[in-house]
Amino acid sequence: MAPTMNRLHPLSAVTYALQYGFLWLWIPVVLLLVLAGAFDPISGAWVPFAAPFGFLAGVAYGIAYYYRFGYEVTDDTVDVSSGVFARRSREIPYGRIQNVDIRQGVLQRVLDLAIVSIETAGGGASEATLNFVSEAEATRLQREIRRRTAAARERRRAEKKGTTGGVDTDTDTETETENEVDDTASDADADTTSAPPDASRQPDSRERRGQRDQRDQRDQGQPDEPDQREQDDRWDHPLESGPDPADEPDAEPAAEAGVETDHDRLGPQPVDAVDDDEYDTFDEFDDGDGFDEHADRDDRDEFDEFGQPQKQPLFDLQARELLLYSFTSIRAAAIAGVLFVFFLGTDLVFDYLLTVAQPVGGPEDLGTGTPTNYGILTIVSLLNGIVITYVLSVAYTFATYYDFRLGRVDEDFVYERGLLQRYSGSIPAEKVQSVTVTDNPLQRLIGYAGLWVETAGYGPESNGGSQSAVPLAEKARVYTFTENLTGVETPKFEQLPELARRRYLARYSIIAGVIVAIAFGITQVTVLERWYLAAVVFAAVPPAAHLRYVNLGYYVGEDHLVVRRGFWKRQTTVIPYYRIQTVSTRRSIFQRRLGLASLVIDTASSRTMVRGTPTIYDEELGDARDVHGECRERLQTALRERAESDDLGVSVDFT
Amino acid sequence: MESLHPRIRLLWIAQAAILAIILGIVLAAIDPWLLEIPTVAQVGVVIVGIALGLAYAVRLYQVWQFELQPDALYLERGVITFVETAVPFVRVQHVDTQFGPIERALGLSSVVVYTAGSRNADVRIPGLTPDRARELQDTLRDLAVESEADDAV
Repeated sequence: MAPTMNRLHPLSAVTYALQYGFLWLWIPVVLLLVLAGAFDPISGAWVPFAAPFGFLAGVAYGIAYYYRFGYEVTDDTVDVSSGVFARRSREIPYGRIQNVDIRQGVLQRVLDLAIVSIETAGGGASEATLNFVSEAEATRLQREIRRRTAAARERRRAEKKGTTGGVDTDTDTETETENEVDDTASDADADTTSAPPDASRQPDSRERRGQRDQRDQRDQGQPDEPDQREQDDRWDHPLESGPDPADEPDAEPAAEAGVETDHDRLGPQPVDAVDDDEYDTFDEFDDGDGFDEHADRDDRDEFDEFGQPQKQPLFDLQARELLLYSFTSIRAAAIAGVLFVFFLGTDLVFDYLLTVAQPVGGPEDLGTGTPTNYGILTIVSLLNGIVITYVLSVAYTFATYYDFRLGRVDEDFVYERGLLQRYSGSIPAEKVQSVTVTDNPLQRLIGYAGLWVETAGYGPESNGGSQSAVPLAEKARVYTFTENLTGVETPKFEQLPELARRRYLARYSIIAGVIVAIAFGITQVTVLERWYLAAVVFAAVPPAAHLRYVNLGYYVGEDHLVVRRGFWKRQTTVIPYYRIQTVSTRRSIFQRRLGLASLVIDTASSRTMVRGTPTIYDEELGDARDVHGECRERLQTALRERAESDDLGVSVDFT
Repeated sequence: MESLHPRIRLLWIAQAAILAIILGIVLAAIDPWLLEIPTVAQVGVVIVGIALGLAYAVRLYQVWQFELQPDALYLERGVITFVETAVPFVRVQHVDTQFGPIERALGLSSVVVYTAGSRNADVRIPGLTPDRARELQDTLRDLAVESEADDAV
């Protein structure tokens, strides 16, 4: 190990020692028991002497591991070397780092410790995990890596500029102009009492836009875009050809009101009930004067006295939103937890369910009872299961997203969240592969949605490189955020052909038929009768087919493809063309009969492993082929354009 | 559009036959244990399996085509689900040539193209002669380098 390398926190020596101690304890024990069975002279009675020996060896190994583990942040790479006997030295170039995450469990928070993990696009696990470093060191590392990554990025751009030359891609001009435009945006945000700024400022920004029309397409979604409510409607009701004239008159006030809520949110201290002092350790770069900077930003103000970029808040999850999010989302983890408890304590669970069901007509015990008794028991147990799962899910979501904050430092997004276990991470904006708006039926009912950014790395909860940027907010705001973040214009969704709905009708009818057949099978082998009652599932077929159909849509934009799908967890994914990896047109035998095709657009986002690749389902073959060709063509165009500019692809100031 | 080498059908038929035979062995193993399966049925399953494999192989060979287009590698394939895929050269991470034991016996080789997209869905072109496979690999590599973008991921 090079002498300059840093060691982990001394306490990790203790944890490694204990960890390996208890692990190695079993080696001599198992070995002895096996050998004692095979050879007479060896006796199983030696175990009490062998076990401590194994434990001590493990402790020694753990301590050695600690001393042989080193990490270092150099100019070009993050170096990690580890291994007691077999050494491994790993160098991770800054340009390849997807995100840097900090994780803190309850005990670690008490002891001021944190786990830092560094993710790249390759492999299935974190490229480097520092387990543990002190909290201050974790924050320092995260900042340092971010700073160096930014420096590496600047160098790369400077090189590119050197090679392409001529084109107006000067970084300074770019930043300056962008900031000026932002200024108008922020002023408009902040200055709600004065006259509407648009009238005087618009020509200004238009002029600037003329100079760099390419890049500025994205800014159209900013202050002088007329009406958020109108945008909202257009995202949700694709078939309406134009804005509702009735909405027109209050266009300006609506926009103002919309940004005013942003303004509240960006105050120096979060305005909700969250107790800041409790988490003061995480406020280290929340310097309290965030809002002023945000409102009046220029190059100078983005840095603190040490020339370090400061964190600027973008979005804080309010108490109301947190509660709504907790109550409107169902976590798979909660279902898994309930099932786990069920299998762990089956007897206890049955006792409990029997006790609960008895007063309302359940059986005395599992052995005796009439079919009615059992029916009541089943219904009561199901209700119980649903309620308990729901409560667990609410608690889990609440604890996970408690005190969620998103901010930006330079060109990186940084977030933190969690009640018991704190997570904090940074995502370079240039690594964002796609952006997805999600909502479930409940959230749609109350007019809320969430916004996720997807990278090619792996997140702390192995949720496939998908990170919540805005867990839940009013959908009008989420749509505006999406437009600002990606620069996508308000999509006018294409409705899929009627044939698609017919196809789902047929598909769900088949499923319903299978259910009835199963019911018939059950009546044949049990005491239950009247299998034909199961035919009520057919009543659900038309609405199911219709709901699936109306929640499908896509939009071929100027620089982005927008794909919407799903009813229970509807996802509207915005894919920049330059992020496309492969495009496939798929036709099953059923689709071929109907002349339909599905278009699969693959990106490097690792979320696709979990949630499925963005797919336009059941478009007419000709149209699908057109979109296929369009995607390929626009990928090439976008790549050429990006080679000539240092466009980030996403705008970090999206709220 | 370029088709695969005709011998690829033998490979697919061989794979189907192996599967069918394994299925037959499983059935034979179940026979005395769990339930009686007449020998005719066992032989029948194997024969039907091989026949299906044969038809599948012939059809798959008919539809399998690929082409180097100006910007992308383009493939068409699939019997049950017909898939047309475009892999832009700029997205090619690396290119392998591979061959398994049966492929080697038949004198065939595969080219596998990796992208940064969904890691399981990498693109494989089977049924190339070893020379053609190497040539394709070189071409793809050159095209990928030529169109390299620094921000693939």
